[in-house]
Amino acid sequence: MSILEDISQAVVSGDKGKVLELTQKGASEGMDPMTIINQGLVAGMDIVGPRFKNGEMFIPEVLQSAASMHAGMDLLKPHLKGKVLEAKGVVVLGTVEGDRHDIGKNLVGMMLEAGGFKVVNLGVDILAEDFVDAAVEHKAQVIGLSALLTTTMPAMKEVIEILKEEGKRDKVKVIVGGAPVSQKFSDDIGADGYAPDAASAVDLCRKLLPS
Amino acid sequence: MKKIFSRMGDGSPIEMTESELRRDLEEGTREAALRGKIPALTDDELKYLAEIFTAPYRFLSVERGNEVVLSYDAGTLKIRRVGIAVNRIQALQIYEKLLGADTMELAHVDYSFKPIKPIIGYEQPVLEQALLVTHIPLFYGAMPNLGLYTQPDGPFPNPSELLPQGKIAEARESYEKTVEAAIRDMVYASDAMMESGADGINFDTTGAAGDPDFLATLKAAEILKKKHPDMCIEVGMAGEFVLGMHGDLRYDGVRVAGLYPHDQVKLAEKAGVTIFGPVVNTNTNRSIPWNLSRATTFIKACVEVSHIPIHVNMGMGVGAVTVTDHPPIDIVSRASKAMVEMTRLDGL
Repeated sequence: MSILEDISQAVVSGDKGKVLELTQKGASEGMDPMTIINQGLVAGMDIVGPRFKNGEMFIPEVLQSAASMHAGMDLLKPHLKGKVLEAKGVVVLGTVEGDRHDIGKNLVGMMLEAGGFKVVNLGVDILAEDFVDAAVEHKAQVIGLSALLTTTMPAMKEVIEILKEEGKRDKVKVIVGGAPVSQKFSDDIGADGYAPDAASAVDLCRKLLPS
Repeated sequence: MKKIFSRMGDGSPIEMTESELRRDLEEGTREAALRGKIPALTDDELKYLAEIFTAPYRFLSVERGNEVVLSYDAGTLKIRRVGIAVNRIQALQIYEKLLGADTMELAHVDYSFKPIKPIIGYEQPVLEQALLVTHIPLFYGAMPNLGLYTQPDGPFPNPSELLPQGKIAEARESYEKTVEAAIRDMVYASDAMMESGADGINFDTTGAAGDPDFLATLKAAEILKKKHPDMCIEVGMAGEFVLGMHGDLRYDGVRVAGLYPHDQVKLAEKAGVTIFGPVVNTNTNRSIPWNLSRATTFIKACVEVSHIPIHVNMGMGVGAVTVTDHPPIDIVSRASKAMVEMTRLDGL
């Protein structure tokens, strides 16, 4: 197995030590850091995503994999020598007003970063106008809204309404997710998409922002 | 075009055409087959389900000879929740004498093993007296509910707070500690009620807190069965899929996270469980035909591999019953008929 495949497998296993050892080895042998990132580290998370979606991997394992991937990327940053890790897009992410649930949202953030997106994670209990302000500030292409309560879901529509009022609706895609959310709800409020899980959120962003 | 009355998973009434009904039945079984890696329903079975839904009657029943056992959990809570002001022993008698229950369960309103353990001495006399005025097998039951063992309700750190901080090893360690603490409480309380003459113990909503919850139940069942070989242990699940909150807990070498009913029952049998109550959750965004086709696919696969009686959980939000406080009889009866006559289970 090549070193890149070994790195991928180490990411899938969530073996941070192994990821760091192999990443260092690749860098020391003169391998292009972007190759290590794309074909080793990110490739590992591309395996993790579908496995999580299919119920073969679970939250703690996905978090471990994401942590090991990030550790590898941090190790390679000094080796990038001016090369910019170009993000596929900027996603502003948060849990809506009145809702403090965040595990799922954080998982989405990690998977999006692993998938090459820049993520601005606003946290929980975020006002609708703050989502819009953050999207403007960070020049985001996507706003990702999370809610775990049926009582907080309506706040998602508020974000879309504010975007319309400010004439920004066509500049930002809005995606929604969370346990009580559904495709029908997404359609009813005029969102651009619904993702039932973190891996699907990455696929959705890739679909909405073709490179 | 003929319209067929049915409902969505949230109970709201809908009308479907025959082709819409057929489509939902096919999609439901396909979804279950894909998720569980099990066979989908056959064309004959789908046709049978379609006949159930197109029947013009308000409620349906099974053919004579196909009757099954009716076992109830938490009945002493539910009858009082609807405002019938009876004590728990009277509730048991109502279920036995008026509602046709074949087994019943004495339950405390704080329906989890952790809060019950310190007051088990007060539960014992109630059970002893109930046994004197009832005839049907009487269980004592509660939920493992491992969520109560982590902060702020319990002593161990809360993994939901540790995981977002990236403290995965610490979160897993906490889950493992909750398993050990829960086993102690479940065994202690169950022992006491068996001493008082209970016919069995029910571990209700097993798996509600994910794989640690399911593992604790399996281990508690194993310990209890060794101490009381003739004891009846019933396990009622919380969901069709064991969530991997820890992700790497194993029983008899098998990872318990990610299991569906047909694999859950195998571990339950190994642990010494006597009756297994699988659950398939109702999706409120889909029609009941979709939900029932999906649920019967899972339960059929479970029954086929089981060597112990299967009493599928059917009620609010489970077993293709609507997520409503008062499930409508048109759906409850149809779902029950399909479960009994298609999956060949042993009880509801």
